Amino acid sequence: MSSVNEPKNTERMWWRSLDEAIVPNEFKSTNTDEFPDGSSELLATGNDRRHFLKIMGASMALAGLGVTGCRRWPKEHIVPYAHRPEGTMPGIPQHYASCFDFGGISQGVLVTSNDGRPTKIEGNPTHPDSKGATDAFTQSSILDLYDPDRSRGVEYDGKKSSLPAFKEWISTYLPNQGKGVAVVVEPSSSPTFHRMRRAFMKKNPQAMWVEYAPLANTNEREALGHAFGGNWMPVHDFSKAKTILSIDADFLGAGPAQVPNTRGWSEGRKVNHGHMSRLLMIETALSVTGSKADERLALSPAQILAFSLHDGANDGANYDSVEGASFTAAQQAWLKKTAKDMGNVDLVVAGANQPPVVHYRVAKWNEMIGAVGKTVWYRPVENGSNATLADVASRMKDGTIESVIVIGGNPAFTAPSDLGFATALKEVPLSVHLSYYTDETSSVCKWHVNQSHWLETWSDGQSLDGTTCIGQPLIEPLFGGLSSSEFLAILAGAEVTDSHTLVRRTFNPNADLWNPAWRTAVHDGVVANTASLETPPVNRKSFTDNSVVGGVGMTALFTSSASVWDGRFANNGWMQELPDALTKLTWDNAALLSPATAKELGVKQGDMLKVTVGKESIEIAALPVPGTADGCVILPLGYGRTFKGRVCTGAGVDIYPLRTSNNTWAASAKVVATGGTNPLATTQLHFGVNTTPGKGTQERLPLLFREGTLDQYNDDPAFARHIGHTLHSLSIFEEQQFEGAQYKWGMSIDLSTCTGCNACVAACHAENNIPIVGKDQVLMGREMHWLRIDRYFAFGSDGHGGYDGNNLESVMIQPLTCHHCENAPCEEVCPVAATVHDTDGLNVMVYNRCVGTRYCSNNCPFKVRRFNYFDYFRRDPLRSTGLLQVQPDYYVKAQSGGKTLRAMQFNPDVTVRMRGVMEKCTYCTQRIQRAKIATKNAWVKKTEAQKAADPRVAIADGSIVTACEQACPAGAIVFGDLMDEKSRVSILHNEKRSYEMLEELNIKARTRYLARLTNPIDGSSAVEGATH
Amino acid sequence: MTQQRFTFPRWTNLALPAFVLVGATAPLYFAIVVAYGFSPQATDVGYMPEQPIPFSHQLHAGELGLDCRYCHNTVEETAHAAIPPTETCMNCHAQIHPQSEKLQPLFESYETGMPIEWVRVHDLSQYAYFNHSAHVTRGISCVECHGRVDTMEVIYQHETLSMSWCLKCHRNPDPHVRNPSLVTQLDWGLDMSAAERIADSASWRVRNNLKPSQDCSTCHR
Repeated sequence: MSSVNEPKNTERMWWRSLDEAIVPNEFKSTNTDEFPDGSSELLATGNDRRHFLKIMGASMALAGLGVTGCRRWPKEHIVPYAHRPEGTMPGIPQHYASCFDFGGISQGVLVTSNDGRPTKIEGNPTHPDSKGATDAFTQSSILDLYDPDRSRGVEYDGKKSSLPAFKEWISTYLPNQGKGVAVVVEPSSSPTFHRMRRAFMKKNPQAMWVEYAPLANTNEREALGHAFGGNWMPVHDFSKAKTILSIDADFLGAGPAQVPNTRGWSEGRKVNHGHMSRLLMIETALSVTGSKADERLALSPAQILAFSLHDGANDGANYDSVEGASFTAAQQAWLKKTAKDMGNVDLVVAGANQPPVVHYRVAKWNEMIGAVGKTVWYRPVENGSNATLADVASRMKDGTIESVIVIGGNPAFTAPSDLGFATALKEVPLSVHLSYYTDETSSVCKWHVNQSHWLETWSDGQSLDGTTCIGQPLIEPLFGGLSSSEFLAILAGAEVTDSHTLVRRTFNPNADLWNPAWRTAVHDGVVANTASLETPPVNRKSFTDNSVVGGVGMTALFTSSASVWDGRFANNGWMQELPDALTKLTWDNAALLSPATAKELGVKQGDMLKVTVGKESIEIAALPVPGTADGCVILPLGYGRTFKGRVCTGAGVDIYPLRTSNNTWAASAKVVATGGTNPLATTQLHFGVNTTPGKGTQERLPLLFREGTLDQYNDDPAFARHIGHTLHSLSIFEEQQFEGAQYKWGMSIDLSTCTGCNACVAACHAENNIPIVGKDQVLMGREMHWLRIDRYFAFGSDGHGGYDGNNLESVMIQPLTCHHCENAPCEEVCPVAATVHDTDGLNVMVYNRCVGTRYCSNNCPFKVRRFNYFDYFRRDPLRSTGLLQVQPDYYVKAQSGGKTLRAMQFNPDVTVRMRGVMEKCTYCTQRIQRAKIATKNAWVKKTEAQKAADPRVAIADGSIVTACEQACPAGAIVFGDLMDEKSRVSILHNEKRSYEMLEELNIKARTRYLARLTNPIDGSSAVEGATH
Repeated sequence: MTQQRFTFPRWTNLALPAFVLVGATAPLYFAIVVAYGFSPQATDVGYMPEQPIPFSHQLHAGELGLDCRYCHNTVEETAHAAIPPTETCMNCHAQIHPQSEKLQPLFESYETGMPIEWVRVHDLSQYAYFNHSAHVTRGISCVECHGRVDTMEVIYQHETLSMSWCLKCHRNPDPHVRNPSLVTQLDWGLDMSAAERIADSASWRVRNNLKPSQDCSTCHR
């Protein structure tokens, strides 16, 4: 029983967290136990078993009251259609193409409807951006539809009113010709919206029209407008680029173009004739893109500007035209190393927080290297703004504007703080807000009109490349409400104001319901051949303004949040609990800073900082993140909502007060430690196996995730299998034989292309009825995600035999879920046989047998099992203390016809688990069953000859797609039947890069990884010597 | 005072008789609980709730000889053998008994578009996933689970629908399989001998490659 298992010559040391690497002696084992101390306690705040008994007593008393009648089950009704629509099969989910606008780009989706309830969102395979994939925001937006906090009607002065009353009021009081009227809208790609805008402006020619979104890429828009004239946005094709230079552009991270960018980039990362693309990156904060870069350097905003102004052409020694842009020796060495590769760059991208001058230079640069028309195109964008938000604010204050109409968005919360937008809006005599929530802006407006969810209304839009998309509704508006186009049509006094007719007439003024082109467009969700990519020449000179914010002293940077974006997803529990890709932080934002800066300030994770910009200051917890530029504090926006949502209340800190018109993306700041603390719920160290961190962990990590350079792969494609050396131990137990198996399910995950974007985690959440648990429970290590994404850091040496947390060498991202081991350790320890194998090789969980011993989880080597400490679906997600708080609240029996609103999202094919039950990834067994039953039903109806030709009743490869696989924009996850030698998963399992995690345990996992390949300029920063 | 705090109060003298009483009655109590657990009342065999319209399967499926799939037309395609929409009833009842008192809820539903709320008779646990199409298309007749519906004036639950009952058939499918085209003929095979029936069942089982699954994941997900 011995297993020799040592990595060979790994130079690079990996760490699960910063603290482990730099302060191993101080590092406490609080979170490294699978069930840390106190995790079995009922509640977070000092409640013991006696308290538990009290609660149990109370709930039993309640249960006693509930027992009425003598039948065991409550009486159930079957409610059939009175008139069943043709082609409807109760119980068979249907899929409809639709689209919705996010950040001015239309996201193409295919929505699953279960008996009239939209339950799940997938990507639309015919949509040019999506091609069947989605991001985490899109996955989670289904939950917003069933948000109990959404606005349910029209309000005037905080009191209930009605839509007819509003219409009458607006027709009476809206000034003629739009005199003194300002309209503030979110940027939209919808042709119907712009058609209605033109109708409105025709009727109200004097009105001010302002497009405002806090995270709109205004600098880029300004620069491209300067370069080309007009409104433009760039469209990148990362699949064709061989060497990509990203100047602080997190193109793989959360954002409206994440899906097409990720797909294109991952396409270029596939080794083709010994080549793959290379990604060079300079950035201030550690981003998802940065974690996947082959060569990455953390620079301050001033340094980035200096780099860009010189087109990265030399080693940075004379980048002194920008104040504060002096480079350290290490930075100069990096620049020298990459300088020789700068000539190969065939695509340059710049991030939203770069000043216009950088965007201009990037446009020029791309033109110079011939990228335009090959890897980058430009698309004209419609923009009706004839003023800015600052204009509106100043004219509200001097009284020349008396009517403000806000359509969507939340400017009272998100506007630059120096405008005093909310205060001014409150004083305006006529103010209207169309909004999904009665949020911060609604509360200072006279009128609030409830907006319909995008799944409740017809819409249209343009994809990244300009293709027109048509979005159809899946459900009647649950609480009435208007879409932004409908609302605008009412304001414009249009005759027809229903979204269906509006969208159809934009498509073709003469198209009737039965127009074949219209029907095809609705069915496909896109109008074919409507892309509008162009290659305009740069025909104007650069900006002269090279000033930069934050060259000297501390710099605060304002970024989007990958969880709540600009705050719009703040009341979405799935997004709040989704661990950030790199910080693994949930339910909060934090001030991200480099370990060296944290040390300077004398703070560690969770210590409060006071960040002051100008006169405004906020207090926020610090979170040291390696790879952040020194002297910078990264502040993700969108948290700290004052809107009293059940989920968003108390989550994070509002950063917007620090943001002013002149300092949109960065500001010079004063940062001091306050001495207070706020525990941050980060998940990286949860479910750890080691109680004592040490060398053992470090030796094992390179075996768990394996990586190599392209050169290594070209030398020895099977290098991953030669890292470490495994002797199988014999199984203590009788091995599974799988006699009579018709199928053998397996999965392959490609670590090379996985970016850790979280789309799979969100998709799993939506598909499998997984609850959210709230911050206090996450702190206790009780999050329920079936699929977690692990993150590891590699640090450079500190020169004294230790490791320097400030010198980030590499980041590793690894999705981990149940491996469906054939010799599953969990099964051997279950006293009630609640977890067993089925013949196809799934390790299944039988919830109704589970008694909650948690032995299986103790024995699981991957730590992928999750235990329901509470009936989380009946629990308030954020607030937790006291007996009464553990009562149904979030999922109130509600106003909507006595049904629980939240329950409408549930997947009817998956059991909703109760308290005290263990659960885990099932490989989406409900999807397997669906395909199996359909295939077998069809097989029985075949002729004898056909049956003889297919004795195994094979299921076509690709007809079973797990939720995570379907969502993945990188195509990193592949599921299928290993019995079929030609299936994609079989081919990937046989690929030489493929390896099994914890192979030495002889568990025969059905999930295998493909080792990560990197493409650094020279082999120095990669694992060396891992050959034979 | 302090002495009293550490002395058992007088009522504790009742504890011993109470223990004896509980000890003596416990076996009887458990026997009753177990007996009740297996009784038809607990398993709901014979459950016959009152429906909003006194629909007679005996009349429609028995005397008139309507095929089960005329109304339950989704049974071969989906998990549910859906209750027919009001429209299906009205195909005939627009002409037949158009004035009937008992059919008033039907006419009302047809006019208003609001559904009729039937009471569910065969009620599986929420954690068990049964699929009608998987059974019916492979030659498991309706009668195997629902009994002789064509003789029921009022529909009732004929079998226990318990897990052990399901597994009985999954472990030993013969004689429950038949020609898939005969699944809705509820009185088919009654004239056959037991041996003939088993032989017929086995032949269809082999022909259609039926290997009834006993995996947990088949029904529990």
